[in-house]
Amino acid sequence: MLDLLWLIPALPLAGFLVLLFAGEKLGKSGVAWVGAGSVGISALIAGLLKWTFLTSPPEGHHFTQALWTWLDVGAFKPEIALYLDPLSLVMTLVVTGVGFLIHLYSVGYMHDDEDYSRFFACMNLFVFAMLILVLADNLLLLYVGWEGVGLCSYLLIGFWYKDPANCKAAQKAFIVTRVGDTAMALGFFLLVTQLGTLQVQDLLERAATRWEPGSGMALATALLLLGGAVGKSGQLPLQTWLPDAMAGPTPVSALIHAATMVTAGVYLIARTYVIYTLAPAAMAAVAVVGALTLLIAGLAAFAQSDIKRVLAYSTISQIGYMFLALGVGAWSAAMFHFMTHAFFKALLFLAAGSVIYALHHEQNIFKMGGIRKQLPLTYRTFLIGASSLAAIPFITSGFYSKDAILYQAFTSEHGHFLLWLAGALGALMTSAYTFRMVFIAFFGEPKTHVHHKPGWVMNFPLLALAFLSTVGGFIELPHFMGHAQFFADFMAPSFAHAAGHAAEAHHGAGLEIGLMVVAMALGLGGIAAAYVLFLAKPEIIEEKMKSEGNRKLHAFLFSGLGFDKLYDTLFVNPYCWIARVNKRDIVDLGYSFLAAVGMLVHFLLGLTVTGRVRWYAAGIAAGCLILMSVMVFT
Amino acid sequence: MILVWLILIPLVGGVVAGFVGSRNVSACRWISLVALALDAALAIGMISQHLGGFQYESSKVWFEEFRASWIPVLGISVHLGLDGLSSLMVLLTLFLGIIGVGASWSEIQERAGFFHFNFLWIIAGVLGVFLALDLFLFFFFWEIMLVPMYFLIGIWGHENRQYAAVKFFIFTQASGLLMLLSILALVFVHRAGTGTLTFDYSELLGTQMLPAVATWIMLGFFIAFTVKLPAFPFHPWLPDAHTEAPTAGSIVLAGILLKTGAYGLLRFTVPLFPEAARSFAPVAMTLGVIGIIYAALMAFSQSDLKRLVAYTSVSHMGFVLLGIYSFNEFALQGVVMQMICHGLSAGAQFMLVGALYERIHTRDMGKMGGLWTTAPAFGVAGMFFAMASLGLPGLGNFIAEFLILVGSFQASVPATTIAALGLVGATVYSLWFMRGAFFGPNERGWTIVDLNARELVLIAAFVIGLVWLGVYPQPVLNAVAPVVQSLEKMTQPVTAALLRS
Amino acid sequence: MTEAQFVALSPLILVGLAALVVMLAASFKRSNGLALGLTLAGFAASLVSLAWAAKVAPVQVTPLILIDRLALFYLGLVFLTGAAVALLGHGYFEKRAGYRDEFYMLLLMATLGAGVLVATTHFAALFIGLELLTISLYALVGYTRTEPRSLEAGLKYLVLATVSTSFLLFGVALLYAELGTMEFGKMVDLIRQGGHRETLVNGAIALVGIGIGFKLALVPLHMWTPDVYEGAPAPVTAFVATVSKGAMTAVLLRLYLLVGGAIPDSVMTLLSVIAILSMFVGNLLALLQDNVKRILAYSSIAHLGYLLVAFIAGGNFAPEAVTYYLIAYMATSLGTFGMVSVISGREREAEELRDYAGLFWRRPFEAGVFAAMLMSLAGIPLTAGFIGKFYLLAAGVDMGAWVLLGSVVINSALGLFYYLRIVASMYAAETSAKPGAAAREVALLGSATLAALALCLIWLGVFPAGLITLIRSAVLGV
Repeated sequence: MLDLLWLIPALPLAGFLVLLFAGEKLGKSGVAWVGAGSVGISALIAGLLKWTFLTSPPEGHHFTQALWTWLDVGAFKPEIALYLDPLSLVMTLVVTGVGFLIHLYSVGYMHDDEDYSRFFACMNLFVFAMLILVLADNLLLLYVGWEGVGLCSYLLIGFWYKDPANCKAAQKAFIVTRVGDTAMALGFFLLVTQLGTLQVQDLLERAATRWEPGSGMALATALLLLGGAVGKSGQLPLQTWLPDAMAGPTPVSALIHAATMVTAGVYLIARTYVIYTLAPAAMAAVAVVGALTLLIAGLAAFAQSDIKRVLAYSTISQIGYMFLALGVGAWSAAMFHFMTHAFFKALLFLAAGSVIYALHHEQNIFKMGGIRKQLPLTYRTFLIGASSLAAIPFITSGFYSKDAILYQAFTSEHGHFLLWLAGALGALMTSAYTFRMVFIAFFGEPKTHVHHKPGWVMNFPLLALAFLSTVGGFIELPHFMGHAQFFADFMAPSFAHAAGHAAEAHHGAGLEIGLMVVAMALGLGGIAAAYVLFLAKPEIIEEKMKSEGNRKLHAFLFSGLGFDKLYDTLFVNPYCWIARVNKRDIVDLGYSFLAAVGMLVHFLLGLTVTGRVRWYAAGIAAGCLILMSVMVFT
Repeated sequence: MILVWLILIPLVGGVVAGFVGSRNVSACRWISLVALALDAALAIGMISQHLGGFQYESSKVWFEEFRASWIPVLGISVHLGLDGLSSLMVLLTLFLGIIGVGASWSEIQERAGFFHFNFLWIIAGVLGVFLALDLFLFFFFWEIMLVPMYFLIGIWGHENRQYAAVKFFIFTQASGLLMLLSILALVFVHRAGTGTLTFDYSELLGTQMLPAVATWIMLGFFIAFTVKLPAFPFHPWLPDAHTEAPTAGSIVLAGILLKTGAYGLLRFTVPLFPEAARSFAPVAMTLGVIGIIYAALMAFSQSDLKRLVAYTSVSHMGFVLLGIYSFNEFALQGVVMQMICHGLSAGAQFMLVGALYERIHTRDMGKMGGLWTTAPAFGVAGMFFAMASLGLPGLGNFIAEFLILVGSFQASVPATTIAALGLVGATVYSLWFMRGAFFGPNERGWTIVDLNARELVLIAAFVIGLVWLGVYPQPVLNAVAPVVQSLEKMTQPVTAALLRS
Repeated sequence: MTEAQFVALSPLILVGLAALVVMLAASFKRSNGLALGLTLAGFAASLVSLAWAAKVAPVQVTPLILIDRLALFYLGLVFLTGAAVALLGHGYFEKRAGYRDEFYMLLLMATLGAGVLVATTHFAALFIGLELLTISLYALVGYTRTEPRSLEAGLKYLVLATVSTSFLLFGVALLYAELGTMEFGKMVDLIRQGGHRETLVNGAIALVGIGIGFKLALVPLHMWTPDVYEGAPAPVTAFVATVSKGAMTAVLLRLYLLVGGAIPDSVMTLLSVIAILSMFVGNLLALLQDNVKRILAYSSIAHLGYLLVAFIAGGNFAPEAVTYYLIAYMATSLGTFGMVSVISGREREAEELRDYAGLFWRRPFEAGVFAAMLMSLAGIPLTAGFIGKFYLLAAGVDMGAWVLLGSVVINSALGLFYYLRIVASMYAAETSAKPGAAAREVALLGSATLAALALCLIWLGVFPAGLITLIRSAVLGV
């Protein structure tokens, strides 16, 4: 059964190739069948593998399928091999499962688009690349997937390429992530040089034996890899591309920029966790990056008016939670939050997509209003997603995963009160901006007209994801609610090395409950605040906005705290300036100068050619004089 | 003898094509194609025997060797030899030669006979360069390939072709003379030591000389090869030559001619002067790194598509320079991969740009945009090669750059760090290329014919090559492993070698 | 005169005889063809007699002339070149009105002068040869007397050459006054022994140098070159550029071999400066020139600069390097000026760059040959010029003359620039303005000569071994 593993990435790849070469001939339904079908079958196979893992797990809880030797230089011998363990299995399930639902949704959403087959081709390619990323047995192969998803992200953000703004957003996404990737590549070079392999398990083993905890090598490697992770996952300081990435079609945002690709950074750190445990400073950096990002993105989310941008900032913020979890050594909590986030954020995006679809590409929440009555199903599913995002206690999956993170941020040996505080404040902000969006968009007076209602292909994925967003959390409950830690137990083999380092300190249930109550209170408080400010008494905001300072603050938050401007000034503009000024190539001008000197001398010498015999005779005489003087006097 | 045939077939084919071309244009194309195909068949037949099953016998240095007396009074002979490295270069040359004929099938209508004559003579000259094991013979071929290339640019080029052709010729010729001086100096130093006057490569290997002398002599080789490569600051001829050359000219220029520079460094500069090369490494690596970054920036600042691709070549060749002077197996393997993969990706890009120019008669990105709508296959191909150029994993260029950087990381961390920024630069210019040509609004309302069957076949050949090298590069790595290992060995510091023994 | 001496001298005698015969024949029948035939017969006979003379060589014929292998080799070179000029001249003058026979007579006389030069070991003979050559050239340069430019060139040459020859004569007189001999060998011995007034001897040598330098058109004695080359009929220009310079080079070579490299440093420096200046001035002046004959004139200045490099570098390679380079240079100059003569029309010569526009497509054969010649001048492989340059650099590297070599490299680039300008104009599209000069009729003999030259160039470029062996046996007696 496990031997079917290679089919999981191969099917979407096949789908991509079919769509690439025959997409135009297949017709829309054919494209839909190939596009969604290939991912669907992959999801089924992934499910089967999960079943196998649960019923008869392979030895050591992992399974490697080597396909062929990729290269063999010296002792460095990476293979094209797939590695399945609980960690990659969870990722695979989410990628294929959520991926399938989103593909299905796209069948309806993209139906009227002229580039239907290109869309599905790119989506299939993305799923393939993402699966390579998560299933890769070595970091080099992981990098193939890593860059592959980057490419697909670029292609899909710029899917509607006729609008230059979309192209710009796409380019930005690619380039900014590439900056991170370059750091990551340097990390790989370091690993190859120091440990002689990129095979993940060997790597972790060798790192653990060769590097002292706290050693400089481990720290450097961990930080370089972190560079790649923050780029891909939209974390500080490389988060600026993600909000712009919303230029792509909404299913793309749901799949790539919410559920899967942007969590690749989380996966990378989890995958190489041993290196991080060897470098406590790097762990702290991860946690701090996460904490800062979640706060900053939360602030920025408040000021957005585009429904997708709100969701984008919330994605950044939620991934910040995952980083926070990783940074405190809460590996499985991070993955747990990844999973629930994939469900509810995909749900939110898809539901938002339904709204956008119904309102004929209206994305501004201030122009929506009151659509809960017109689109009840969409409204309800959106509300479920929003509740999960806002971590409404007990009934949402987001509650459980976020709670696990907050708890460990406080109690873990790598944890700190400030980290917890940031997370808790983030929870307040999350619920506030989430429900701001809900209240503004779905409540109040209708401001626009619903054009067409989504059909079942779009509604079914919403329902399925709403279901997952709710029950997905029940597989991992807080300690005091009975020991139902299925997820953590399942994941445990993947983080076996960490046992000694990040064991969950068992504090009393009292602390756990106390922390949870605070978080709950903050979360619910946020909702209440949103209700007051955006539904009950909107005039408070209006009043505040009259002041110049507040308007500036709003503009500042709206711009994502000015990071774009900062980077433009520091990097983009100088680069473009040099490019513009040096268009002619100063080196070339140097050679041209030499040539010009040659020409000048040519003209000067030309003055000696007069055609007059007396002048020529004088030349001879002069030559004679010189010759004589040299010969005679030396 | 088979090596002589390899060179003779294109020479003779060129003459025949030249004569036939004035009467029957289509016949001369076919003649060129057949001559190159025949040559390729010969080469593949011979090389596959030696790389058969991709196993390599380390007992023999040269797969094939040919030696005949030429100018005995000066110790010059016709000495040809083929090893793993030159095998790959020969195959690349013939592959791109065939592509070049195909790419100019419809572009070249004027004086096609003379065109094909020149084209085949370039190929012959390059093959000679890759096979020559006598330094005089090497220089002979090195210069011979310039003349037909000059004609190719000067006659069938674009608006500013004269300037470009002359610039190309002068840069390479002047630097070539420096190499000739170095060759002579080496020969005389060798004569002073041994009493025999010879230009033979294998005899000149290991010539003993003072370090200062070695450095000076090495510099002549180095400059000639880095002008051809080209490396910063010797690159300015390239953008002009590329921009003005006809498509086939650009393809062989980027694909093969630049590689002769890299080949020269690998075959001559380093093995003949290992010590000097090692002490010179910091300078060379610095030039390589500057080239990577500077040319990436320059590529981004261009609006002419061919100029853009030309600068990307400079940037990619910076990696080659960096890799060669890292002197370890990773980097050197990467260099060879880079030579091949860049040959394919840049060749393909030039072919695409040429095909585009044939349709819209401009290379200015300011006048393009939105071409994806009207020619999606063009767009997909453009995207593919843009990705190859920025080093997307899964394609050959990635393997090349990865290996080079892993290798150079072991030699110099700062150099590698800066060079790695070139990856970002590559992303910027590659996306700029895509944005300028294919994305955005189609403001000029272009409607063009998409790639035709002939072009698709040629593009497919490139694509298959790059994907194959990206997912299974081992045959290439195996083929050059002995060459690379011996290079690595000879550049090890003496102390390290002593320690090992 | 012994039989051996007579045999040894026979090549020179035969050429002199041929001149007489042509003159006499003209008084009976004026015919371009007949005159050419007689001239060629004369050259052929003397070339054949070279083999005869070689059997007895070396022979000292009076103190004036030494027929050794060097002399024989250069005689062959000079005669062959003379014959080629005659062939080129036939077609050229055929197109023009006026008498043509005198051309051949003068040509034979001039060649005889050159022949005396290459075989001389005595300043008296040197002066005779030089005057024979130069006076014939006055007439040859101004031969197309209906054309003012030709006359002007002839007069210029007359005045300037006379000035330079008088310097030479004065120098010789001083040397004789001080050393009491005019034989090269004795002079060198005496100077080596010392005991004479250094200043006087050195000054005299400088004066002799002026005479030689003028013929070789080295800077600063080069200024007559462009005007004379431009004004003279193209075949004559070919002769001036090749035979007269070749013969003078032979004299230099002979002196060089006698001196055996024992030249004081100051002189070496001076010569180096002259060589470098010649290269740069020649090439830079040619850079943007639009008149092909002037370009080639300037280029010949530069080429003699290159040649000087080999002399200065000295060493084992120098004599053969000089000779090989000279042969390559002579063959290509002959070819290039020959091309100008062949392409030229009735009204005027094809000397402007635009006259060559589109030549590749109009007359691919001639254009191809011309391009090959230019490539040879530029020293590109497959041509004799490449081997020549290779030799030159070899001589330089052998002796470590790096400054000179650096100049050669830079100048090669400069030279390439203007050679390529000519090549480029040949494949450029034909200009709309009809080139008045470029005739469409082909001078068969001239073209055949050029074809032979081109083949020769390429043969020597690809298989130089034979000639090298020959040169070695001639100049080194090996």
